[in-house]
Amino acid sequence: MVKRIVRYIALSTILLIMIFPLIWMFRISLMSAGESILVKNFVSSSVTFQNYLDLFKQMKMGMYFFNSMLVGLLVTLGNILFCFMTAYSISRYKSLSNKLLFSSVIFILMIPAHILIIPMYLLMVKLGIYDSYFALILPWLVNPIGIFLVKQYIDSLPSSMEEAARIDGAGEFRILFRIVMPLCKPVLAVLAIQIFFTNWNSFLFPFILTQSESIRTLPVALALIQGHQSIDWQHLMAGSSIAVLPVLVIFLFMQRQIVSGITSGGIKQ
Amino acid sequence: MIKRKSSAFLFVLPWVVTLFLFWVYPIIYSFIIGFTDRQLLSKDYSWVGIANYTKLLSDQQFLLALKNTMIFVVGTIPLTTVIALVLALLVNKQFKGRAIFRAGFFLPSITSMVVIALIFTNLYQRGGYIAMLAEMVGYTAPQNGFLFDKATALYSIMGMDIWMAVGYYMLIFLSGLKSIPDELYEAAEISGASKIKQFFSITLPLLKPVMLFIIVINSIKSFQVFVEIFVMTKGKFETATIVYYIYEMGLTTKFNFGYASAAAYILFFIIAFFSLFQFYLMRKRNTAW
Repeated sequence: MVKRIVRYIALSTILLIMIFPLIWMFRISLMSAGESILVKNFVSSSVTFQNYLDLFKQMKMGMYFFNSMLVGLLVTLGNILFCFMTAYSISRYKSLSNKLLFSSVIFILMIPAHILIIPMYLLMVKLGIYDSYFALILPWLVNPIGIFLVKQYIDSLPSSMEEAARIDGAGEFRILFRIVMPLCKPVLAVLAIQIFFTNWNSFLFPFILTQSESIRTLPVALALIQGHQSIDWQHLMAGSSIAVLPVLVIFLFMQRQIVSGITSGGIKQ
Repeated sequence: MIKRKSSAFLFVLPWVVTLFLFWVYPIIYSFIIGFTDRQLLSKDYSWVGIANYTKLLSDQQFLLALKNTMIFVVGTIPLTTVIALVLALLVNKQFKGRAIFRAGFFLPSITSMVVIALIFTNLYQRGGYIAMLAEMVGYTAPQNGFLFDKATALYSIMGMDIWMAVGYYMLIFLSGLKSIPDELYEAAEISGASKIKQFFSITLPLLKPVMLFIIVINSIKSFQVFVEIFVMTKGKFETATIVYYIYEMGLTTKFNFGYASAAAYILFFIIAFFSLFQFYLMRKRNTAW
């Protein structure tokens, strides 16, 4: 009994340390602008949603949110489709070129992305898509992690249904999208969440590959607002809360998929 | 058969294009311009051989960035790994409310790094929450806040990174713990082995592959630390890391593409060396069992 109480006290303390910063973010976002931010006034500070209204009215929060959503959703859709197609091909057609392709997936998985910073910038300038949505979307539409994840899954599926459909005269595209894809729903859900999260939170490449405010994503906007003048914590934390919200909602409803995504390969951050 | 082949080709086409256009080409291209003095977007540049590399190795700013990166990697990884393991052990057994603790521990690691860095900029500032806690235990916080002092800035960012990452690696440890068969513990119980003995002779040895995996992916990630440095200190107060240095050299006022690419390749070789070394260790240990 005593042991159990000690354990709960220890775990609750750790839990508090782990989530306090996020609670603190939310608490600051509710204080009125200009109010001094002190932890000892956690309870007595004011509670207002004015900062959120300001963000959408004056600070283009709606635009940043839209940009992040648009890029995040398109990249996620691209990955579901393209990772799935590539993974299926590699898993089912055992040709030499596909073996080479699978090696390329493994090889690229191990390449640290920092090596791309300079050449990706130059490439985007050369292609004429620097500072456009294309720069935010095109390079990430298909991802080695995703191919790897889905390929492992398709490997474990029996191919008897595909063979039967083939004998019945179904075309390859029909087999792919009508028969195999529905079977892959669980792994594609895992993939979708991983890709969306990574993209939603992504800062480095959106930051170096764009310039205009009109296509700026939420993390970039937050990091750059902070650079100006003295810090307006109330609005900054309200913006941060908005950036956390979609992740939090998805997390609450799809925890199992998120966990299985991590334990079966890990998110490349 | 011909039809199957052509559709198989169509299926892999997006990856093939991405592979060559956005991975292979840039990787080779930046290796080549690492040997030139290319700057800005001008077409005039010349081959300088390994001059960028030799210059980097005597560039005080780069060497400091290298040192900071090493401190970051060596300082965060052991702590992150140990804390993640302890957390995993704490929530491994079934008990009431376990799901809440797990979820709470894990939450920071799926939050945006920019957001986390902003929150901690607030927590670390002068008169902020962490300064208050530090003073409660008798430690005098730096006058201008933790991030505006050479002695504490880098370590403060490292502390934040450990806090953020432990939940993620806890989950990987948990999946490793799950794969250890219960019979081993039952047998140990029957033969009278204590819990501590069980941990050191069953849990820890069987977790070694998972632990090495965690160390490898965490070190690849930590060598490339950038976002938190950019958001929290802009590389000031001796916090610039190699990737920050690459960014500063290559994509701010100087646009020194050749030089920055050479710096990127030095880091690339360091990461490759560490990863190969760790894979080698992993192999050796696996065969030893």
